[in-house]
Amino acid sequence: MADDLWQQWRSLAALAVPPGPTSQAPSAGDGAFAFVPFINAAERFMSAARSYLEGTANAAAPAAAEAARTFGDFLREQFAALFQPPWNTDLAGAASAASSAFGLDMPALGLTREHQLRWDRTAEAWRRIDDAQRRLQRLWSDALRDAAIDFAARLGQRKPTAVSPEALHGLYDTWIDCAEEVYARMAHSDAYCNALAECVNAGSQWRQALQANIEQWAKLLDLPTRSEVNTLTLRLRSVEEHLRAASKALKTQDRKPNEGKQGQRKSKDAGSRARRGRRKSSP
Amino acid sequence: MKNAGLYAALAAARHCAAGCSDKEAVWQSGKLRLYRYRPIARPAGTVPLLIVYALINRPYMMDLQEDRSLIRGLLAEGLDVYLIDWGYPDGADRFTTLTDYIDEFLAGCVEEILRMHRLDALNILGVCQGGVFSLCFSALHPRRVRNLITMVTPVDFHTPADLLSKWVRKIDVAAWVGDGNLSGDVLNQLFLALMPFRLAHQKYMDLLKGNADRAKIENFMRVEQWIFDSPDQAGAAFREFVVWFYQEDRLVGDRLEIAGRKVALRALRLPILNLIGKRDHLVPPEASAALQRLVGSEDFTTLEFDLGHIGMYISARAQREVPAAIARWLATR
Repeated sequence: MADDLWQQWRSLAALAVPPGPTSQAPSAGDGAFAFVPFINAAERFMSAARSYLEGTANAAAPAAAEAARTFGDFLREQFAALFQPPWNTDLAGAASAASSAFGLDMPALGLTREHQLRWDRTAEAWRRIDDAQRRLQRLWSDALRDAAIDFAARLGQRKPTAVSPEALHGLYDTWIDCAEEVYARMAHSDAYCNALAECVNAGSQWRQALQANIEQWAKLLDLPTRSEVNTLTLRLRSVEEHLRAASKALKTQDRKPNEGKQGQRKSKDAGSRARRGRRKSSP
Repeated sequence: MKNAGLYAALAAARHCAAGCSDKEAVWQSGKLRLYRYRPIARPAGTVPLLIVYALINRPYMMDLQEDRSLIRGLLAEGLDVYLIDWGYPDGADRFTTLTDYIDEFLAGCVEEILRMHRLDALNILGVCQGGVFSLCFSALHPRRVRNLITMVTPVDFHTPADLLSKWVRKIDVAAWVGDGNLSGDVLNQLFLALMPFRLAHQKYMDLLKGNADRAKIENFMRVEQWIFDSPDQAGAAFREFVVWFYQEDRLVGDRLEIAGRKVALRALRLPILNLIGKRDHLVPPEASAALQRLVGSEDFTTLEFDLGHIGMYISARAQREVPAAIARWLATR
């Protein structure tokens, strides 16, 4: 099966990841190297799909339904990684550890009060991010579960098919359709929109708190801070605006002698436009 | 193509340069460049056409390669084409506002073209967010625009199918952006999340279905380059755009002000051509179609294409139909 997608991916994987230590390793910029995760995913998918197709070729209805369910669950598990955030998800644990290390659960008093409150806000933001992240992951997990159920149901409506590149492609496309449809329903829901907004808002709070902490250290070491640079940028911007306004005023003065001619041309344009006025609708 | 050839094509394709038509920079302001394309056909005799692209992603999508270039199609129709390249904002541009983009940079480009051609008004083709800017500019400077073409342009940001709008409505955008810019990587993640299975998985798996020849792979990599070549967004302008349009939907009901002046779509009387992608997942067709009921123009044409957002620029059907439709429409005005 020269056209088998699985075979192609495998060959591509061999090219993208040379086996020997003497071979030149591909750079991250190489197009094929970036496909390695998809090559691995394709291998796993093709293997599971072959098992499903071979197992259901002559199977009775209950066995075929069970095979479809197993295949759907496999896909649900495989695609869970698509929604894993790139960072460690135990944010609450990290926030709790930070709180203990800095004594942040204690009341903020005395000389260190403001500093303690800044770190407290940072830890609180981490807790909020963790909570929102968990809500999102629950929703993603539910969507994948529902997609797997839909997928199994659709497989149940298909006639048993022999293993072929077309059959494997068809199974993959059916899974993507199911997953995308369920995901779209979930993504439009209030629960998802709220959790996503909370995650972004908590992330913003965390970044602000962290920036305030870092600026505090920068001030102690007499290093320039973003606040200072912003102040200078705004001053420069104000000067630029004054220059632009002055430049425009000069241009306006220069144009005044020609205004008579331009006015005549404009009124001619307006007249021809009015004559052309009409409304059309799409074909 | 054998796998060794496929690998070589993938590796080589990363060097392919997007953009195929000859052009020259005729004006610049800061990072902005105004380009004029060299003609390739007999002039159609219409006034120049200024393409106003979005701040999100880069304008070379309009001229990706010879057989996938909206600009080349327009040039072949004899149009005199200009294009704004907004550049890549950096930290020094964080306080750049929508007023700067619309009433300074865009206005500056228009004035320059009008000065070069000794005209009072030109034609504008606004694409996506650039269409929103074009609408605002036309409302603020109605005498400067002779005909307006909007392409995959959102106007009503609160239509039921608008997922981006639903997502950002409860986000505290001022805190999100802070005093900085918004990273292009964040936007990429957001756009991929609209259809994660198709855009982050199926697209790559599909690459090897059938026999992908060199041309197909290079085309794939050019589009890939464009998709992820996302400039950071100037913080102030991004915040204003999200709040004014996505959250508050100010174009509907003429509630928008730019530079202290009202942007009243109802007052727009110029001829308008609205190009809509019926399968657009970024700008739902209803979000674009709303324009017709919001403007005062009596000469209003809507053309719908059975295409998605990106397909409107680079699909074979778009190449055949969109430039010709634009040229025909302009020729009678």
